[in-house]
Amino acid sequence: MALFRHRRAPRQTGDDGLGLFLFDDVSAALKAERVLGSAGYEVSLVAPPPHLRAGCDLAVALPRVERPGAERRLRESGAESKEWADTFAGTCALADLVTTVDFGSWLMVRAGNMKMTVEKSTGRIVNTSGGGCPDIPYLNLELVGNTLAGSMRPRELGYTLCGLMLDRAYRECCDLLGQEADPS
Amino acid sequence: MRLLILGTVPIEGGRVFAGRVSRGADGTLLVGDVSVPVSQGTASMLLAAATVAERFETAGPWAVLGGDIGRGDGTRVAYRQLEEALTESDALVVAFHYVQPIMALMREAVERLGPRVDAGELALVADAGGMYAAKACGAASRFELMTPDVGELGFLADPSVSHPAYVTHYLFGAERFDPISLARESAKSNGAARVLLIKGVVDRIAVGGEIVATVEEPNVAALEAIGGTGDTITGLAAALMAAGFPTVDAALCAARTNREAGARLGARPDHRAQDLVRLFPQVLREKLCAWSDACVC
Repeated sequence: MALFRHRRAPRQTGDDGLGLFLFDDVSAALKAERVLGSAGYEVSLVAPPPHLRAGCDLAVALPRVERPGAERRLRESGAESKEWADTFAGTCALADLVTTVDFGSWLMVRAGNMKMTVEKSTGRIVNTSGGGCPDIPYLNLELVGNTLAGSMRPRELGYTLCGLMLDRAYRECCDLLGQEADPS
Repeated sequence: MRLLILGTVPIEGGRVFAGRVSRGADGTLLVGDVSVPVSQGTASMLLAAATVAERFETAGPWAVLGGDIGRGDGTRVAYRQLEEALTESDALVVAFHYVQPIMALMREAVERLGPRVDAGELALVADAGGMYAAKACGAASRFELMTPDVGELGFLADPSVSHPAYVTHYLFGAERFDPISLARESAKSNGAARVLLIKGVVDRIAVGGEIVATVEEPNVAALEAIGGTGDTITGLAAALMAAGFPTVDAALCAARTNREAGARLGARPDHRAQDLVRLFPQVLREKLCAWSDACVC
């Protein structure tokens, strides 16, 4: 049995009045997203344009007009960005295609390039697979053996886009098994 | 074995582990005299490569591993040791594996290795973060072999993205997912190595973007769920290349070995990659020479 769910943000190529906070690493971008989201800003996570990329990149987009207040909020929260870019052209949205494979006693969820497999009866994470960034073996050791409910979220433990995709798989596992994901 | 593998292990702090790789009697992984954690990732690749070395009764591959849990610190230190490791290992094949996909580091490494690659003295292999970085920085076509899974093939085929997390088209599971045309696209856009081993329900081997071989049996669906079973294929393929197998043969034998071991294991989604690797010696012993003329028994 395979279930396909696909929510895809349109690839942005034009100027929608949006700009970007840029960060040195994914976890810094995620922290900024949380800070700004909590403060009521509508932000989105995107890849920066090609000329601003280093490899494993994540930027936070929001309306340019809101930059001053958002910057102050980030500074007060210790979540400052590396720099600001006044452009949204050439960015890409994160993949959001999720599929599942039913292995009888186990359910595997694929999110982007990452997979998480759980034991249906207990909610125990029995495996993670896919990816290529160095936090993935670390996440495999930290997560496997825990239940979904008893586990920290991959986005809290990981540092890269692969870790973020694994977090997407984790959230889907929680949804499908009727478990509550940690809201962080 | 004249194989050098650059990767990481999930140990915090940026320490480097470098040396000849071997398997301990209890299934542990030794880099020089130091035992490193066995997990999904470069450790699984090294375990697999070590079994090929054992099959041919040669010394194991050489590894340079950075302790890195995703901050990139270990990756940076490992890259700095590449030149020294190349000299120590006298490698014919260099594989870039679980490293932080930092484009600048990969670009610089490929530029330094380029003359030897062009002279036919060195072959480059990439998987995982090494593959992401090689493609993103425009160096993919300098590589002899890459081993994407079906989730990563779309990434190689899409010149506009620098990480698989941003591929919104051509995803496995999406409508009209077509690995055959994606292999062609990846070659056309210079996003691929000369040879691709595309890991999936059907393993496909492409040369210059055209599929030349497939492996479908035995079909062990659970392998996809087991972390590290893609890494073991890469380790087998890279080691067989270093043992003198032509690249396509190495890829075919790697795919077959992984599947045969999975079938003998009765693989389940809660198995570990090291459970699979324990069966490689018997599979290599019994099957390798039947699979390839390159095998000298």
